[in-house]
This record gives sequence, C-alpha cells and structure tokens, in this order.
Amino acid sequence: MSDISTEKYVAEARRGIADPVLRRSLASLQERFGRGTAAAYLQLPEGPDLRVTAHAIREKAVAHLDVLLETLAATIRRNGGHVFFAATAKDAVDYCLEVARRNQVRLVVKGKSMVTEEIGLNPALAAAGIEAVETDLGEYIIQLAGEKPSHIIAPAIHKTRNEVADLFAAKLGIRRTTSPPELTQAARKALREKFLTADMGTSGVNMACAESGHITTVSNEGNIRMATTLPRVHVAFMGMERIVARLDEYEIILRLLCRGASVQTIGTYVSFVGGPRQQGDSDGPEEFHLVVVDNGRSRILADPQFREMLCCIRCAACLNICPVYGKIGGHAYGFAYSGPVGAVVTPLLTGVNRAKDLCRGETLCGACKDACSMDIDLPRMLLALREKLAYGDAAWQVEPASRIEGLAYRGWSWLIRRRTVYEMALKLAATGQRLLPRAGAMIRRLPPPIHGWTQSRDLHPLAEQTFMERWRKRKAPSNARVNSEWAKKNPTGEPGSEGCGGGEGLGDEDGRRG
Amino acid sequence: MKTAAEDRFFRRLRTALGHAPDLSRDATQLFAQGPSADELQMLDRIDGRSAADRRRLLERLIEAGTPINLRVVPVFDPAAAREGIAAVVAEKRPEWGEAKSVAAWRHPLIDRLGLEGALARRQVPLRITDPIAPGAGAGRECDRAQRDRQRAAVIASFIGVTGADFCLAETATLVLRNRPGQPRSVALVPSIHIAVITLDQVLADMKELFALLRWAERFRPEGLSNYMSLISGPSKTADIEATMVHGAHGPREVHLFVITG
Ligand code: SF4
Repeated sequence: MSDISTEKYVAEARRGIADPVLRRSLASLQERFGRGTAAAYLQLPEGPDLRVTAHAIREKAVAHLDVLLETLAATIRRNGGHVFFAATAKDAVDYCLEVARRNQVRLVVKGKSMVTEEIGLNPALAAAGIEAVETDLGEYIIQLAGEKPSHIIAPAIHKTRNEVADLFAAKLGIRRTTSPPELTQAARKALREKFLTADMGTSGVNMACAESGHITTVSNEGNIRMATTLPRVHVAFMGMERIVARLDEYEIILRLLCRGASVQTIGTYVSFVGGPRQQGDSDGPEEFHLVVVDNGRSRILADPQFREMLCCIRCAACLNICPVYGKIGGHAYGFAYSGPVGAVVTPLLTGVNRAKDLCRGETLCGACKDACSMDIDLPRMLLALREKLAYGDAAWQVEPASRIEGLAYRGWSWLIRRRTVYEMALKLAATGQRLLPRAGAMIRRLPPPIHGWTQSRDLHPLAEQTFMERWRKRKAPSNARVNSEWAKKNPTGEPGSEGCGGGEGLGDEDGRRG
Repeated sequence: MKTAAEDRFFRRLRTALGHAPDLSRDATQLFAQGPSADELQMLDRIDGRSAADRRRLLERLIEAGTPINLRVVPVFDPAAAREGIAAVVAEKRPEWGEAKSVAAWRHPLIDRLGLEGALARRQVPLRITDPIAPGAGAGRECDRAQRDRQRAAVIASFIGVTGADFCLAETATLVLRNRPGQPRSVALVPSIHIAVITLDQVLADMKELFALLRWAERFRPEGLSNYMSLISGPSKTADIEATMVHGAHGPREVHLFVITG
C-alpha cells in the first residue's frame, strides 16, 4: 500500500492554512470551477436533476456489480485481453510487476490514475528497478518535485509557475522560463521521448461499460491515449465499482463527469478500449490487461450506510466547492483522495480511527452534496463515520475516538428527554456561564474538556430566559393570535435565541485568537 | 481462465451484495433487448434529415468548435479539401526536426482526395498507412517489421490526415473507430491532425451516436470496435497555474474539413 499520512491531518492542515500561495491557488480554482460547475449543471437540457438520474444509474450498477464485472471480463477476454481481479493492493501491484517482468519492461509511462496512487504502484515499480514516468503534466511536475498530488484532477494545483520554472530548469536542464506555454512545451518534448521508448503504459479507468465491453479513459492532454497506444503493453487499473451497464447510461455519466471535473461539455479525448490490437491493425498494444481492484471496496459495498460511496466517479467537483479543502489543500488528507470524497473514502479504505480527523474536519455544510455530479450524500456519511467514532463499531473495527465524547452524548440524549431536569441544567448553565471569560457579549473560552471548541471561535452565551420560559409567560389562547402578536412586537421576526450557533471546523482564516 | 483467486473475489462480492456466493446471476435484465421508443425516434430523425437540417448541424458544429480551438472548414468537394490540406501543409512548420512529411490513413474518402500529387508538387512525401498484411505463419513476429516501418513513418510526420466515422455537432467531437489501415496514432502523434468527413457524417450528439452504434443495422455489427476515440479539438492542459495551453501531448492543432457538396 502507498504511504498514508492521514494521521498528520491537523498538522498538515495548519501548514496549508498558513501558506498564502496555496490559499490563493485554491481560491482561484474554487472560484472558477466551483461556480462554473453549478452553472454547467443548470445548462444541461435535463437540468441539474440529471444528477439524480445518474445517481440511480450508479446505484443500480453497484447493486449488480458481480454480473456487470463478469460481463465486462467475458467480452474483453473474448477480444484477446486479460482481466485480473485483485483482492488487495498488493495483488494488483504484484500482477502488474509480473506482467512487466514477463515483457522485460524497463520503462513505464503512466496516465493519471488515482487508483494506482491508492495501491502504491510507483514505489513498487521503482523497487523492482523499473522506471515509471507520470505523463499528465501536473503529475509529471509533482513527480519531478518528489511530492504527492493535492487534487484529483489538478494534482499540481499547489505549485506556482515560479516553482515549476525552477524545477524544470534544474531537472530538465532547460533555460529558466516562467511562461506556461514554454514550460508545457519542455514537458511535451521530454515526455515524447518517454512515450516513444516505453515498453508499458498504464492508465486508470474513468468508467467501464459492461454492455459494450469497454473501459474508457478521459483526458485533455492526450497523454493517456499516448500511453495506451504506443507501448507494447497496456495495463489499466480500475476500482471495481467504476462500471455502468449500458451505453445510454454511460453517456449520462460521461456528461456529468466532464462538467463536474472541469466544467467542460466533454473532455478532449475519450477513449473506449475493448482489448489489444486486432489482426491487421498497425498500432495499439499487443497485450491489454485490466486489473479490477477491490482493496476494501467490498467492505464498503456490504454496509448499506456506505454503499452509496461506490457511486462516486472521482470527478472532484466536491473538492472544488468544499470550504475546508479550499483552505487546507489536498496534502492534509494524506492519501490519494482528498477533499470531501477523501474524508469519506479514506477512513473506509484505510481505517476509520487512523483517518478520524478527516471526517471530523469537514463542516457538514452540505456544499459537496449540491456540487456532486452523482448527487452523493457525503454529509450523511461523514456523520455516520463520526457516529462510529463516538460509539465505536465492531464491524469496522472502530474504537471510540474519545470515551468522554460518547459518554457526553449519551448523557445529553438522556437529559433532553427529561423536561424538568433539562430546564434545571439550563438554569445552572446560564448561571455558571457568568464565570467564563467573555469578549463583548460572546463567551471567549470554554473550560476543558470542551475548550477545543472555542480555540478558534467564540460561543454565544445561553439566553437569560429560555424560549420556553418566555412562551409560558404569554397567556395565549390560540397560536394564531400569538403569532400575530409576535409579529407586531418583532417586526424583524427575530426570535429569542436559546441555543448557540456556529458549525464545526478547523477555524477561519484569521487564525486563532487567545 | 478463471483462477481460484478470481472465484474468491466474486464470492466476496456476491456476499457483500447479499446474494448466494456461488451463484452467477442472470444479467439480461440489466441490458436493453432492443431500442427504446426514444432511440427509435432518434434513428428516424437521423434517417430523415434534410439538407437544411444538415446545414444547421454544420453551423452548430462550427460554433462548438470555436471555443475549443477546432478549426472547422466547410468545403464543397474533395478537390477543395485537397487544396485546403495542401495549404496547411505549406504554411505550417514541423515541430520536431526540419523535413516535412505527412501520414494519412488508407481510407476511401482520403483516397479520393488525390493528396499524393498535391503534396508531391510541394516536395512533401505522403505516407499511407496500409493495413498490415498477415505474414506467413501465425504469431505476432511475422508482421512486426511492417508495423515498425509504419510506426516510424507516423512518428516522423508533422501532419496526420484521417477520416472519421462520425462527428458530433453538439460538442465538436470526432468519432474514430479502429480498423486495419486506420491506426489511431495518425490522429495523435503528429503535431497537427487534419480530419476529413462528409456532411452526412455529422450527428447531433453522443446520444445519436450510441443509438446508431447499438441499434442501426449498418453500424451494429462493428459496434464501437475494439478501440474507439472521441476527439474534441486539440490537446490541451491547464496544469500550470490554470493557464490554458494547447498541445500538451497530442496534436497542437486540429483542422476538420467537411465536404458539403
Ligand atoms: S463524491 Fe461526488 S463530487 Fe466528489 S469526487 Fe465523488 S462523484 Fe465527484
């Protein structure tokens, strides 16, 4: 398995927030893509509800994954391709290494694929003495820099043109230039050599279609087409859920993928690969291998709470809207998948406890659900994960992240079901809160163990009188009259506040006070 | 072909889905057994397209091509297409090295253009990618030499000329299916890709494309072929500070000649 550093989420997030350059690039990314995607959904002839249709298509596919994969494999094998079903990351990597060894592969050109990132293909190839070159420009940049992708679609979003200029001058030996066209040209030249001499090309799979028997790849650069056309061997890796039944369904998913990923009506290159080159063909790989990766997905599939996550097509639309991702960047998530999708998928794939801060770092604002091209309810699953962390869960081997938290919520649930006790507690708290330090009308710091909450924000104090107290003071025979009186007295319609506001999260960009 | 590991994979999968682990399930209900009412309508619409309808599609195609830098050139006949192509060949400079050469598909429409003579007058060699003739005996070795020669020719060419099976007006998308004599690298490896089609190959959108490939008698047997590419404009990237640059790895320019006559 590849390096996982989800444990460092909080520290890495702090680092991201403190980096003004990163914050600027993220802001401009979200500004363009976040809004553009929403507008693109509106412009669909079917309207944004097409996402609901797509969700149903994906749900059906996931529910029939066994038959769809069997159908796909049978067709590809009939056409002379090989299909390997990998239970684990290691199985997938070992298979690829074996194919490489059999073909005496020395150089691999890689098309961007998050699943190869997930299974740790690059380090394994390197360990076997095989050179593997990322060919997506963004991936190439971060590979040269020895870094990790920070966005599913725009992996080098955290790099500035100045950094790329230094990097290319040092690693490619070119004259230093900060012009993106010249830098792109330099990479084009360097990578063309690699494409022409590589023995093996690898790719991911954006979506497979069972009925037609093809996998498909989508790219703008053409690197995936190069990597899957020129070398002798093509190995494609797909997460086992990335399949739909029929072509008419595929068409819908593809349109949403391109809009969600980069506000395009279609990616420049969409390739349907159904096997190796056929008799009489002059190009295309002699060998085609499809590696279908489980690596923890069947566990997600078996849990009705999380099965919905397998509808995901990794379009990254949720990253482009998420307020948390927009501040901390992708590295904090510590795994191939960042942003809201990462906050759900990473705990499920790598261990909930290990990645506990990911699902706790999100704000539950719901923006990701509205942006999701497949209309996936990510906030619901974030909450479900948090519940597991609060109470523990044997099936997922989750230890309660904090016993105190679990106890506190149990106590809370007991309390709010007992009116008189609850009111007494409120009274007590309303009196007790006078002891807490204030900033104006707001409470500045809470005592331990809940002091973390006020680390980066203030808390509304409890009102002097609770809503119920005020309510009882009114002698009101009918609700209608109460309502109209209320409206007269409160022309702004602002009701007395009883609770406290604010969401959860890592804090705002002004940093922490106190 | 199936191994014990694969068997375990599917058992785990079926168990996760709540099915009996050993039983392969029936797939037919998941796949369409015939065209839907919508698709039948689409097929009728495609068949019944008037000259005026096709003109409108062409306009849509040109419009969709503009923002993605696809140059769409309507021409009246093959001769005009030939002249248009020759002009591009004359005007553009090779990206890698000095000598100009052009690779083109063995394809009925391209054959009709008479490119060979037009390019010879400008001293630019034209290399046609003929199907690889199966060598004596079986196996992959026998025709390797032919293939290597063709590959070298395509790599050395600065322009690749191809036909296309269809073009989708909505997204300005060329549809290329794989066939002997029509290697996909011709539309990919040279710096400039020129495609030539006739107006009746223009469809409205991908829905129409799939309806035809799935259900029209003429196209169904070949289906998508073992490799189908959809190409919408030249290669591009925005990976450095989100600045759009054309010509990342694929062609920097795509010119599409549509023969309308
Ligand atoms: S969760 Fe939705 S928006 Fe996010 S990557 Fe997956 S499909 Fe795209």
